[in-house]
Amino acid sequence: MSSPGKRIPVYVWRRFGQSLFFAFFLFLFIKTDYSGSDELTYAVNILFRIDPLLAFCAWLAGKAVIALMLPALITLGLTFVFGRFFCGWVCPMGTLIDGSRFLFPHGRQNFSPAWRRLKYYLLFFLLVASFAGLPLAGYVDPFSLLVRGLTFAVHPALDHALTSFFTFTYQQGPDWLNALTEPVYEILKKHILPFRPKVYALSIFSSLLLSAVIGLSLLERRFFCRNVCPLGGLLALVARFSPFRLQGGSTECGKCRQCRKVCRMGAIDEERNIAGADCTLCLDCLEFCPAGRIHFTWTGRRNAVQPTGITRRAFVATVATGFLAPLVLPSRTLARRADSALIRPPGALAEKEFLGRCVRCGECMKVCIGNALHAAWLEGGFEGVFTPRLAGRIGYCEYNCTLCGQVCPTGAISKLSVSEKHATIIGRAFFDKNRCLPYAKGIPCIVCEEHCPTPDKAIKFRESPVMNSRGEVVVVRQPYVIDELCIGCGICENKCPLSGESAVIVTSEGESRHAGYAGADGY
Amino acid sequence: MDRRQFIKDIFLWSAGASLAVPHFRILPSALAAEKPPALLSLARGEDYAALVAQVLAPLGGIENFVRPGDKVVIKPNIGWDRSPEQAANTHPLVVKALAAQALQAGAEKVLVFDRTCNEERRCYVNSGIEKAIRELDDKRVRIEHVDRRKFVPIKISRGKSLSEWEIYKDALDCDCYINVPVAKHHGLSRLTLGLKNSMGVLGGNRGSLHQNLGQNLADLATVIRPKLTVIDATRILLRSGPQGGDLKDVKKTDTLLASADPVAADAYATTLFDLKPDAIESTLAAYKMGLGEMDLDKIQVLTA
Ligand code: SF4
Ligand code: SF4
Repeated sequence: MSSPGKRIPVYVWRRFGQSLFFAFFLFLFIKTDYSGSDELTYAVNILFRIDPLLAFCAWLAGKAVIALMLPALITLGLTFVFGRFFCGWVCPMGTLIDGSRFLFPHGRQNFSPAWRRLKYYLLFFLLVASFAGLPLAGYVDPFSLLVRGLTFAVHPALDHALTSFFTFTYQQGPDWLNALTEPVYEILKKHILPFRPKVYALSIFSSLLLSAVIGLSLLERRFFCRNVCPLGGLLALVARFSPFRLQGGSTECGKCRQCRKVCRMGAIDEERNIAGADCTLCLDCLEFCPAGRIHFTWTGRRNAVQPTGITRRAFVATVATGFLAPLVLPSRTLARRADSALIRPPGALAEKEFLGRCVRCGECMKVCIGNALHAAWLEGGFEGVFTPRLAGRIGYCEYNCTLCGQVCPTGAISKLSVSEKHATIIGRAFFDKNRCLPYAKGIPCIVCEEHCPTPDKAIKFRESPVMNSRGEVVVVRQPYVIDELCIGCGICENKCPLSGESAVIVTSEGESRHAGYAGADGY
Repeated sequence: MDRRQFIKDIFLWSAGASLAVPHFRILPSALAAEKPPALLSLARGEDYAALVAQVLAPLGGIENFVRPGDKVVIKPNIGWDRSPEQAANTHPLVVKALAAQALQAGAEKVLVFDRTCNEERRCYVNSGIEKAIRELDDKRVRIEHVDRRKFVPIKISRGKSLSEWEIYKDALDCDCYINVPVAKHHGLSRLTLGLKNSMGVLGGNRGSLHQNLGQNLADLATVIRPKLTVIDATRILLRSGPQGGDLKDVKKTDTLLASADPVAADAYATTLFDLKPDAIESTLAAYKMGLGEMDLDKIQVLTA
């Protein structure tokens, strides 16, 4: 500090910290993939497990403490001491919003302070609704929004762009160019891009949501963090009590109000008080105060806890909505019969419990090496949007793979050993004899039987005479399913060579998670 | 047969410089003239690594197939996410020994690959083949995942059922193509052997080939021409093929077969399953097209 010329400005440290966490996040994101052994090496779900919003919602929904999510308490504890450092230094969504600021150079400041309460109401609603049976936290949780956007849209788009480019150079470029480009492509393929091109349901929708979160900064800086983010809301509630915080400015300290101008969260009022609930410790005010008055210090009890502005009426209304909204759920047709096209990943808990725990993070869909898991739309109801479902015609569940249960941060999909996985029934295949070639046309095929992975094949065949399209009677092998052996992996549906709909289709019938419980209420 | 022109055509097509689909012309007369006496070598033993050299010896050793400076492609079956004991893929030791032999013979490049049925990485890892090839620790040998950009449409002018299909460029554009299938049961074709193993170099919707599998495989055999076929029958899958999964279905036979004649290799391998060569449609179809010998009396078996 003695020679100010050489001092590294504090915001450089913060940016460094943010970049480091962001890089770590991206690293974990990329590593959420098969890496040559059945067990994943990196705890890629760690980010979700330190998210107290998701932890509380999952705990309330399940009415039990899920041990996997206990690390979230560490975040909460640190926030209690140091304030919302998490939002300013750790959260990759925050970093992304900060990093895209150049897109919105003229963002207004202090849109309207009343908007800040929105995040609290959202938080209360989510917590209460989770408890009452309508789990929705994953819709708006920043990590979930981010990972879904990246998994479903950004990563595949990057792959598509680069692969198109390198295909062009490969096919059109001279040898000397390929000598340069091909090794680059190989490295990208090995370390950055998905191993195979992937496709995802709701990809465009998810990227729009992510863009919207970033685009809200058009209204004011970090609009999402200030006003919407319920995780930010939870941290803000706790940060109000933190004994360590920034302070130093006062009504007498000068007319410049530089601190107010630089604050990305609008956390500093006219009197130059810094609100613990809003301050994310970006330290810009500390750096840019011309008088150097602002410091990060222990304030202990001297520090008055600022009000949140939550009105009692609105609070009661929010909580009431949280309790009442789930009451309409049994009025849906879903309550009588579950959608048989909704096939859950192997190890998924029974539907109600599953929905309560699933935080829509998209990790299972990211890791799925068969590209089988996709975000559901309304198949599982309004509360099931973005939860994973198996789409057999797009991808299939790889027989020996157990990755989705390993990445699920809440245990909504339980971790299975390979042998447990082999015994887990997620659905059952049936044949459409009007389409299946050996039945419908007397043409030999049974690609489905070839791929059926159970050691005692669930698809067997019998030889039968059939009249083909030329009127000749031919003997063909006709496939059929042995229900007791079929686990519903969907490889048959996936590999059936018919060009349109598959002639063998998997439905959720017989799934083991319900043990004899077909449909929600078969009565 | 104009192989050089053919390779040039493939190059031009995949470089986008030509729209004409490459065309591989082999005239029946050329086939007849070329047809070597159907020699087939058979070796038995438990040391699978040594068995490879042993089975090749009566055919003149690997040097008879791989010349110094050759680009070699070894095409094992790595189709399934199964372990070596489960007998769904070619035994890793056989693939490794074969690659080592090719290197010893002075190959400039040895490439190993398969277009798998299960997830590629899992198949490469759990078949043990990726590790086995890496253990050779030689820059000239590579095991690669299939690169989609490398499938080239090829005209199959002698085909009776197929007229064109996408084939992996490297399988055609090499000096020596070695086919190393594992012998096993298959629901539709009864057995999968050498000709069926060629499906691993195909692009497109391979499932649709099953609709006339025997003839399709024979048609493809007019274009995909291994110089050497080594059939891995060190252990064979008797039921629930082509994937198996239950060790009760596996029989240890400790056998390797090798032949320059792809049809003879398949024909003889069929007998290991107590079947007659003509029980396999692809063998029969290929024989009828003059692609090789199927008559066991006309195949000279050399026991190594
Ligand atoms: S793969 Fe499809 S068309 Fe072929 S037999 Fe099976 S279900 Fe029928
Ligand atoms: S879903 Fe199809 S492939 Fe999978 S176990 Fe059932 S029948 Fe076999």
